[in-house]
Amino acid sequence: MAKKAFRDFLHDLEEAGEIQRVAKPVDPRDLSGLASQTDKAVLFEEIEGYPGWRVATALLSSRRRLAITLDCEEDRIAQEFETRSARAIAPEFVGNAPCQEVVMEGDDVDLTALPFPMMHVYDGGPYISGTFVVSNDAEYGRNAGSYRMMYRNRRETGIDLVSPSDMRFYYQRMLDRGEPLPIAVAVGVHPFEMLAASYKAPIASDELELAGGLHGAAVPMVKCRTVDLEVPADSEIVLEGEILPIGWTADEGPFGEFSQISGDVKWNPVFRVNCITHRRDPVFYLLQMPWENDWLSAPVTEAAGLQALRVASVEPVAIRAPVGSCGYWTLIASIRKRPGEGKNALLALLSVAEVKLAIVTDDDIDINNPDDIDWALTFRVQADQDLITLSGARGKHVDPSIRAWEMGQGGLPLTAKLGIDATIPEGIPKWLYKRIEAYGKDRLRLEDYL
Amino acid sequence: MSELADTIEATLTEEPLQFGELADRHRAVAWRDFLHAWGEVREKDILKRDDIGRYYIPGGEAEAIAAETKAI
Repeated sequence: MAKKAFRDFLHDLEEAGEIQRVAKPVDPRDLSGLASQTDKAVLFEEIEGYPGWRVATALLSSRRRLAITLDCEEDRIAQEFETRSARAIAPEFVGNAPCQEVVMEGDDVDLTALPFPMMHVYDGGPYISGTFVVSNDAEYGRNAGSYRMMYRNRRETGIDLVSPSDMRFYYQRMLDRGEPLPIAVAVGVHPFEMLAASYKAPIASDELELAGGLHGAAVPMVKCRTVDLEVPADSEIVLEGEILPIGWTADEGPFGEFSQISGDVKWNPVFRVNCITHRRDPVFYLLQMPWENDWLSAPVTEAAGLQALRVASVEPVAIRAPVGSCGYWTLIASIRKRPGEGKNALLALLSVAEVKLAIVTDDDIDINNPDDIDWALTFRVQADQDLITLSGARGKHVDPSIRAWEMGQGGLPLTAKLGIDATIPEGIPKWLYKRIEAYGKDRLRLEDYL
Repeated sequence: MSELADTIEATLTEEPLQFGELADRHRAVAWRDFLHAWGEVREKDILKRDDIGRYYIPGGEAEAIAAETKAI
């Protein structure tokens, strides 16, 4: 199977009728505002002041487009992600790459050559929101993650490193030595690379192998020109440079966060760009906030939840990270329960990243139906017996309720967690939950009486 | 410094502005030229942020307005 590139995915969306093409010229200041007015993904074919460039956005802003990505039904996304991600496929290395057809080095480096978009009313500047950032640590190896970047000047961006991540850890190790962390930033990679970058993999695991597994084919990698790193060869654009050893000292943000909230000013390091490469006819990727980020988060959170349940020897039936919780903070699961497993399942789900609300139900509940969940919460929960609360777990800055600003610059906030066991309590007969059914429903046909 | 960068500097010394508000005032300027000018101001390391994320430059009316603004 051939590995697909970013532009192959655009083609897939077009075939599925999921892309809105915009032919008239659009100013980079207006891209996000226009894209926010359609439910479709958008391909801007002409960008004012940027001849030869196109911009694609909102590619994953729905569960349907996520299902198209994974070539599965919408209710099988987590399972499909889990199956594909279980087969690690190592990347392969190539000599020539489309992403290096055009090269800017030295004094030629100018970030304004990219159509840096204005995204939200209160943003602290224009942003690159959809990045695939590669770094390396001598002990722990290669890492890939996604970090937003705010334009500062021709050579520099802010980079959001406030949350715990492997790259933050790598950066801290270099900072302790007073040295910069070299990074390479790919923009316009296939969603599988973006999903792999979002995945909370153990520190020593390779996100490029995970991406290979998702594709079912090796990701072709090319050596960067100025840093000792490799990037996906089929990327649209690559920025090479280093995160300066200045710690969390530069203002960055606000930015329209994936929490669906305009955040506040944060203190972050600065990324200095020493080389820009791109295709001859580049497509800039504007990751449209918050929905695209939230739908990207959902399968990753769901798959981590499935894994946690299995490790806890609980049999999951279905799982959902609702987009109302940004695909990140809430997990709802139905399980085939044995005695005590409602609580075990909660403990497992609450161990996933920054999940702060977990709800577990039995397998007769359709967790994709909010009314069904409400019904289970109403009749299967006793608040003094079926709630679990935990304090002092790892939190995330973008949640205002954890008062992250009190941690000071570079501080890591804590959160509380809540689990609700909405399974049928032990000792209550199942027949007490038998749903009412209309008498004769299976025998009668309304159309026979019309 | 370009003329546009001087204008931005004078504006932000007079009043604190969100980046979007500043960009709106220079809507007639090509985006790339505006970003170059913004970068020039950034490089001078004179920009400050107030409690609600607005940019300002100390030494004028903007500083006093920013000091009075507290996030609620």
